[in-house]
Amino acid sequence: MEVILIILALILAGVAVSKILQAKELVDGLKGDQAEPITDAEMKTNALGLVVYGAVLFAFLIAQIIGWEKYMLPSSASVHGVEIDGLMDITMILILSVFFVTHILLFWFGFKFYYRKGRKAYWFPHNNALEMAWTVVPAVVLIMLISYGMSTWGSIMNPEDEPDLNIEFVSEQFKWTTRYAGDDGKLGQASFALYGSNAVGVATEKAIITRLEECKKMITDSGSLEEFYKKEFKVPHTALRNSLKNYESINDKGDTLIMFKGLRADSAVNELLIANDWNKDGILDNVEASLRNYKANIIRLNRMLKDYIKYPAKYDAGKDDVVINGNSIKLPKGKKIKLQFRSKDVIHSAYFPHFRAQMNAVPGMKTYFTFEPKETSTEFNQKAIDEGRVYMKRIKDEEGNVISAEETLGSTGFILYCNKICGASHYNMKVYIEVVEEEEFEDWLADQANFEVD
Amino acid sequence: MGGAHHHETFISKYIFSMDHKMIGKQFLITAIIMAVLGMGMSILFRMQLAWPGEGFAFLNFFLGDKWAPEGVLDPNMYLALVTIHGTIIVFFVLTGGLSGTFSNVLIPYQLGARDMASGFMNMLSYWLFFVSSVIMVSSCFIETGPASGGWTVYPPLSALEKAMPGSGLGMTLWLVSMTVFIASSLIGSLNYIVTVLNLRTKGMTMIRMPLTIWCFFITAVLGVLSFPVLLSAALLLMFDRMLGTSFYLDSIYIGGEPLAQTGGSPILYEHLFWFLGHPEVYIILLPALGLTSEVISTNSRKPIFGYRAMILSILAIAFLSFIVWGHHMFLTGMSPFLGTVFTFTTLLIAIPSAVKVFNYLATIWRGNIRLTPAMLFAMGMVSLFISGGLTGLVLGDSALDINVHDTYFVVAHFHIVMGAGAIFGMFAGVYHWFPRMYGRLMYSKLGYTHFWVTFIGVYGVFMPMHFLGLAGVPRRYYSNLEFEMFADVQFINPIVTAFAIMAAIGQFLFIFNFFYSIFRGKKSSQNPWKSNSLEWTAPIERIHGNWEGPLPTVHRWPYDYSKPGYEEDFVPQTVPLKEGEHDGH
Repeated sequence: MEVILIILALILAGVAVSKILQAKELVDGLKGDQAEPITDAEMKTNALGLVVYGAVLFAFLIAQIIGWEKYMLPSSASVHGVEIDGLMDITMILILSVFFVTHILLFWFGFKFYYRKGRKAYWFPHNNALEMAWTVVPAVVLIMLISYGMSTWGSIMNPEDEPDLNIEFVSEQFKWTTRYAGDDGKLGQASFALYGSNAVGVATEKAIITRLEECKKMITDSGSLEEFYKKEFKVPHTALRNSLKNYESINDKGDTLIMFKGLRADSAVNELLIANDWNKDGILDNVEASLRNYKANIIRLNRMLKDYIKYPAKYDAGKDDVVINGNSIKLPKGKKIKLQFRSKDVIHSAYFPHFRAQMNAVPGMKTYFTFEPKETSTEFNQKAIDEGRVYMKRIKDEEGNVISAEETLGSTGFILYCNKICGASHYNMKVYIEVVEEEEFEDWLADQANFEVD
Repeated sequence: MGGAHHHETFISKYIFSMDHKMIGKQFLITAIIMAVLGMGMSILFRMQLAWPGEGFAFLNFFLGDKWAPEGVLDPNMYLALVTIHGTIIVFFVLTGGLSGTFSNVLIPYQLGARDMASGFMNMLSYWLFFVSSVIMVSSCFIETGPASGGWTVYPPLSALEKAMPGSGLGMTLWLVSMTVFIASSLIGSLNYIVTVLNLRTKGMTMIRMPLTIWCFFITAVLGVLSFPVLLSAALLLMFDRMLGTSFYLDSIYIGGEPLAQTGGSPILYEHLFWFLGHPEVYIILLPALGLTSEVISTNSRKPIFGYRAMILSILAIAFLSFIVWGHHMFLTGMSPFLGTVFTFTTLLIAIPSAVKVFNYLATIWRGNIRLTPAMLFAMGMVSLFISGGLTGLVLGDSALDINVHDTYFVVAHFHIVMGAGAIFGMFAGVYHWFPRMYGRLMYSKLGYTHFWVTFIGVYGVFMPMHFLGLAGVPRRYYSNLEFEMFADVQFINPIVTAFAIMAAIGQFLFIFNFFYSIFRGKKSSQNPWKSNSLEWTAPIERIHGNWEGPLPTVHRWPYDYSKPGYEEDFVPQTVPLKEGEHDGH
């Protein structure tokens, strides 16, 4: 009802405006104002408008720069980030000065040279010296900026020293799992064939065998697809596929559903669908795809097992790895940390804004980013206070509702989140990071369970 | 032909027309409808961003109980709206709408041609565009919702139905629609290229063409070279989705199962997509710059400064646009060396862009500027081109991109430069050539109001977004309250949404003005803006073949404004050179 009223009001407003315009047209016609499409008064108003607008725009920008600075990220908490901050400052100064100069010219010219009758514009079609100047000057400035940027990028992306610590982040919809290299300092082999209860798919002999059995169980419960059909429905596969609809009406075997439960034990949603109406929405297609997937995975795992028999040492590095399932981790201060990223399902991006670090996690490949935290969380918070950065101190009641929020000096601390669209809960994939002194970190890591205990 | 009137039925005149002017209008009106849809969607998701989790009756009215129960937007629908908003505005408004409208209206007129090289292909181009628009819009009404993986639809997200509901039928329709759209764009572009090369009237050499034509021409070339690559990307994605291939899939574990499809790479898709994606930015921007050049010169009553430099910078931008696509992919894990190369080429684009800006400023300097609505929008376009272009220096620099990639800084940057910038160019074009299209003038006072509301709205919406980005807030987040760090800057979002609503309402001034003026606008004279180019020498009535009698002959470049030695402050291209007079540039 409200909406209809609003629409009606809009239509009425439209009619009103059109009537006013019609009246105005008549008046203009009487005034004999037809010669020029626009009047001098209109132009004068617009010219003034340009100057006023320019002033307000500048004020708006400056107010934001000054007023919101306290909400911006504090200066970098990583060693390489200092270089990025320096480059950013230079670029920002350049950008803002060009912005102000060109806009002053644009709005001022618009105001100064607005149309007056009887005046003729200055004939100025080109000027080679001028054109050369404003090609060469930007070119020189940009070449300098490019060189600075390229050398910064090069030093960040191609670190020369060996890392002190190897850490891996594995992303999935919608969380991160962290793996530390353990005592040997190496991240063990991993493969997507092993995901399941093995959160990041670390490949050790035991893990491969466990997973292989898991997968075999998934399909041997029902035998081969062809066998499965024959056994259950006493008809060949293709014939059944063609008469699915007929089947739907005559079949009500409870035991078929049980067979499928064995196959689909890991997917509660599909189970439910099967229980309701297992032919609907191409559910059989899904079952077949599922079988195909598991068969392919068994081949993969067998190949891996053969590889293990040939080169067993390759599969040892994973045993002492530490896998952290929760969403809070610790990092040591002053150590070069090489991060490795993998993704289970879709592309994610690991973004650590306080460290000026970011890298996509792409399924099917490993990506890397190396950085060194240069201050602990406590030191970082102190720095944020010194730099005048603020955060909202929120006091919540038992249900999690915010009772009061107060602007307080400091920072909410280091965090990792997803920065590449990855699905419905993309907005809520976080890991809290605490940077501590080395000894504290070692103690903490020693307390965590290793992947496999011999 | 020679302006002879054939018998025209309603259908051949207004629907399956082969006349370039009518096809241009068809493109324009379709684009306006699509723009309203795209803009409306942005308001729907801006409500959620400003006031996360709060119910609004109108969200429920538009989206229903499934996607907005009790007026609270569903996270999947949020992503769907973001995706379709981007797709519609980028492809259907700013690619199809902008160059479709003005290439059609202006190329034959400004070249002195009777029509496009192939009227039939031109009609086909529009109707394919129409069909693809219908498919895209209809994908919003299916049960699982439209495509929701962002307008770039990166696989595996877009390839796997299990990854999100929008990757089901909605994604298939998206791909079908884009395939048809690409066909339309290619047919249109080929036609524009052939027309420009073959149908110029006597005396209209390449370096006497208005800059609008130069821009449309180069845009068409860019389209022909880059859209086929998007087509192949889309087809391969369809294969992955429907035929079980794995061009883009590898090592995926989804829905609790390891996928059998392995061996592809999602990064391949990104390379293919951005090989179109970056030239696409200039496919959008060049026509807007062309329209702006023409409007600025005419209304400043001054020749465009550095005509040849302008052409060279268009060519340089077009060439460079093909070798910068990697700057969208600095953080995909591609070789850091490639990152260096793409940083270099990307920042080079700033040089021809700077030349264009300085030339515009030199053009208005000591002009006699008629601040018509078209001129205001053109100046607004220059302002947005500067602002958005400058922030590109941050994003194009790989080292700086690390910390602003995919944040609101990016959203602000491209909305200013290629979103609002191109829309401003389009508005300048509509206000300026409306008399040429409909024989009537638009109401200037409504035009000014529209300009000021829009100009305030654009900076009000997008300037604060830079600061959100610098505070680390990522784009495409359904809610910013899950992180304390983002909740702290959440107060900026209602400001942005308020400006967005104001600007959106302001657009109805334009829509009203446009449709009202078609029927009731003040009758225009033949050359209302005292312009030099050929379209204003044709009779104001719409006739087949554009000119009665023989085609006009061109004797000079189109920018002889305020030329010394002439009484009037404009000298049309059809006026022969005086003895001893040099052509202007």
